[in-house]
Amino acid sequence: MKSIGKSIWRKEAWDKVTAIAKYTDDLPATGVLSARLLTSTHAHAKIKKIDVSKALAVPGVKSVLTGKDCPVLFGPLLQDRPALARDVVRYAGEPVALVVAQGEAAAEKAVRLIEVEYEPLPFVLTPSQALAEGAVLVHGRPDGYRKTVTDVYPEAGTNIASRYKIRKGNVEEAFARCEAIVHERFSLPPSDHLAMEVRAARAEISPEGRVLITTSSQAPYSVRKQISEAFMIPAGQIQVRVPFVGGGFGGKVPVFLEILAFLASRSVGGKSVRLSLPREQDMASAPCRIGLEADIKLGADREGIIRAAQMTFRLDCGAYTDNSPYMAKAVAVDCTSPYHIENLNCDSLCVYTNHTYATSFRSFAHESYTFCVERAIDMLARRCGIDPLEMRLKNAIRPGSLTPTRVMCTGSLTGNLTECLKKVKALSKWEGGKAVKIKEDTVRAKGVACLWKTPNPPTDAASGALITFNPDGSVNLNTGAVEMGSGGQTNLAQILAEKLGMDPGMVHVVMDVDTRTAPEYWKTAASLTEYMVGRAVMRAADDALGQLRQNGAQALGCPPEEIEVANGRVFSKKNPEKFIAFKDIVQGYKTDAGLSIGEPVLGRGGFMLKGLSKLDPEAGKGKTGPSWTLGAQVVEVEASLKTFTYRIISASTVMDVGKVINPELMRSVIAGGMSMGVSLASREAFVYDQKGIPQTPNLRTYKLLHIGQEPDYRVDFVETPEEGSPYGVRSYTEHGIIGIPAALANALSAAFGREILSLPLTPERIWRAVKEDTDDSL
Amino acid sequence: MIPCDVVYYRPGTLMEAYEAYRLLQIEGKKPLYYAGGSEIITMSRAGSIRPSAIVDIKRIPECMLLSANDEGLHIGSACTLNQIKESRLFPLLGSSCGRIADHTNQCRITLGGNLCGTIIYRETSLPLLLSDARVSLFGSQGMRTVPFQSVFHGRMRLKPSEVVVQIHVPGWALKAPFFHVKHTTNEKIDYPLVSAAALWKDGNMRIAFSGLCSYPFRSSKIEAVLNDWSMPVSARVDKAAELLPEEPYSDVEGSGEYRLFVLKNMLHALLEDYTNGKI
Repeated sequence: MKSIGKSIWRKEAWDKVTAIAKYTDDLPATGVLSARLLTSTHAHAKIKKIDVSKALAVPGVKSVLTGKDCPVLFGPLLQDRPALARDVVRYAGEPVALVVAQGEAAAEKAVRLIEVEYEPLPFVLTPSQALAEGAVLVHGRPDGYRKTVTDVYPEAGTNIASRYKIRKGNVEEAFARCEAIVHERFSLPPSDHLAMEVRAARAEISPEGRVLITTSSQAPYSVRKQISEAFMIPAGQIQVRVPFVGGGFGGKVPVFLEILAFLASRSVGGKSVRLSLPREQDMASAPCRIGLEADIKLGADREGIIRAAQMTFRLDCGAYTDNSPYMAKAVAVDCTSPYHIENLNCDSLCVYTNHTYATSFRSFAHESYTFCVERAIDMLARRCGIDPLEMRLKNAIRPGSLTPTRVMCTGSLTGNLTECLKKVKALSKWEGGKAVKIKEDTVRAKGVACLWKTPNPPTDAASGALITFNPDGSVNLNTGAVEMGSGGQTNLAQILAEKLGMDPGMVHVVMDVDTRTAPEYWKTAASLTEYMVGRAVMRAADDALGQLRQNGAQALGCPPEEIEVANGRVFSKKNPEKFIAFKDIVQGYKTDAGLSIGEPVLGRGGFMLKGLSKLDPEAGKGKTGPSWTLGAQVVEVEASLKTFTYRIISASTVMDVGKVINPELMRSVIAGGMSMGVSLASREAFVYDQKGIPQTPNLRTYKLLHIGQEPDYRVDFVETPEEGSPYGVRSYTEHGIIGIPAALANALSAAFGREILSLPLTPERIWRAVKEDTDDSL
Repeated sequence: MIPCDVVYYRPGTLMEAYEAYRLLQIEGKKPLYYAGGSEIITMSRAGSIRPSAIVDIKRIPECMLLSANDEGLHIGSACTLNQIKESRLFPLLGSSCGRIADHTNQCRITLGGNLCGTIIYRETSLPLLLSDARVSLFGSQGMRTVPFQSVFHGRMRLKPSEVVVQIHVPGWALKAPFFHVKHTTNEKIDYPLVSAAALWKDGNMRIAFSGLCSYPFRSSKIEAVLNDWSMPVSARVDKAAELLPEEPYSDVEGSGEYRLFVLKNMLHALLEDYTNGKI
């Protein structure tokens, strides 16, 4: 292998470390108007009156928009969200008005002069509150909204935005035969994506109606589609450009600021308008990570084999659905974690509350449900008297097992969990999972958790790739994949270099996405770049190779089947000494006599997912993603039994990535996921006061992991190739996060001898849990 | 970016600064003395202040002084936390400065700013409360120098338009045995749940706290209990924890109940370290 398996530097590394990489808001600001948002100060209230007259009087202000200026509702699944609140606000931070002005100072000044009269309404802040008898409805008629897909099921007269069910085997009967049963309630707060780059967008409309949107988005093609549909503009009139994105983590999948920027531009005759959110609004107003409540009941037999599971998940999607219903679906699809459980009932509900609305977050809610299930498995192992890692080995999903949605597992489809567990046992120096005293009042403990994930793309998601050549024989790769730090472009370059038999340094990647020139890719989400765009790249490479062979056959005077392409050369297998360098043949070939032969080579490839289905609504049978990626993770802590403080010593991950394309890049992306997992589990949360106002929407008081607090990250791989994926590689970019919160909580539960059921794991929370336990026993 | 219109003054003398501040006030502006600016930025972002004018005191020689002589140490109010820390002239104050914010901000935040800001912790006040420090202030009557304790009650109690010029710390305090510890919710760099500074004079421990209540304080009652060696350590700790000047502070960083728990652990460790000769 020339390219696959090599730790080459990221294609964008030099641009980023020398700070010449350009992000959306780095583009020249001359001739651009600025927009600023006024947001709601209530969790739930009627808007009685908005007076914008003083704001309009501020010099430099060009327009002030409110909900009445845009009657259209938005949403990728259920269209329930206005661009600017209309008549009612449903969360504190919801956009209420938008000022467009010459300069941010004027816009900001005007925003403060808008007078809004609210009439507060009762509100609900947790799924339990939202589902209680007589709870106030966040939306009067959730079932009345237009659906853009068929498998979202809002329930009239409730706060339920959608519900998914899994019914497999006979749960009641199986529980009756179990020797050990655990039944616990878990809760996880919403938190934030906190990409380094805050969300930003700019829009302009040409006099003849062409729309140009530049945005920090993971989903440029969704921007084009949603703007086109909402405002009835032919999609071809809309051009969306995405330069580098400074971190997305799912938070830049929703089409949000682009709509506001478009409305802003439209209100000023199409002039260019930029809208960049201050960090505080990026946290409180833009969509966040979902919260979760869960009831998990697991039963095992004498041997520690899990025989039955009953699970209810209540996802806190906040005030609007965005793609949360599909997170509820994804949770149901993978709800057992990678274990074979024959008898399973699962209900996964997406519930409206008056929180900031949620959207996809790295791993699409898998880190949340995995926390609950993997914690419950540890408790079950303790009850059975079995080493928690052994318990997982016993129950590991393997070829022949059925997933919750009754997909038959194979090595290619799901990978090898047993191997991951064995390897992580060695990597983490696992010693049985019990706390070890290292000095007075101080113990060390390890916790283990497994992970798995299958993506949930639309059944017809598509991707594409274009290959062109340069006069030096190097190649340009143009796809619709956004580079946001997940390394997709570099992996694609390596896949292409391998396929063309050339050095990856000779592959130049078009980093920016422009919907006018790059072939459509569904969205840069769900870790699917290597699989979906990778397949399109393979096809484009095949297409280019075919053309090279044609040119070569004509130039060398032999049949195309005899032509070989490797090392940047085209030659006949029979006579390799006689070759033509790429640079002399990629634009067609010219003989010494000047005769032109063949055609310029242009490679193109497209790919559309096949064989996926929706879940059947009753039993939840179906295949929602092309394959799974699984792995095992261990976290080690050193804990003070006196102060309830702790330090995270190490975090280990062994993941079945199918094929290691770039060891260092894969290691760093997985460690990045682990770091996010450590951060959100140990400290991150949106805290709301009694009126439902977020208390920490800023980086002074919202906690996150800093340099210097990082544990030792250990990453290793298992390689069970996925058939049909380029070189067998599996999705891996999100997955490092998934099992970490659970593994950390398992370690801390072992260290403190108290079962931890919620996040974040602050010393105060642990102190309180232990204290309440002690108080109870007194 | 904080988009607002601000008038900026950079006077070279105290008199100019005072005059500028006063005139801005007469003009109806809302001026602020400015040195590091970190809190002006923070509070402007939060929307809790909208200064329309700032008077930069970084060019005033008296405010930039940092030197020790026979009388003790003199620190200009515009000295940064990092300058104070790296000078090593007052180890206890250096230690307090070294635990406020991160290095980047320590190079920006000034002693005067930390004492006069609206963020409630003002952790640099603790060593000053313990060391019989004096403070020079410039206002309508020119310069006055008074005991720090007489103008710092939870926060600086300044006369209108007055500016903090210097802090003076007596020589004995620079060499006295000391103890400083800061506990936070979960981070190395964060606001304190409890930050404590202690200084020994003639074998007596003086101690002051930040984070524990809604303002920093030194309590003679707590000092009396902690210095009572006739009582066992745990009894002194429990008694001291009952003598707070107000209910322990509660916010998103931590509940009052938990702050008390942290305080007790901290005092235990402090007294044990002292008993074992580690201080």
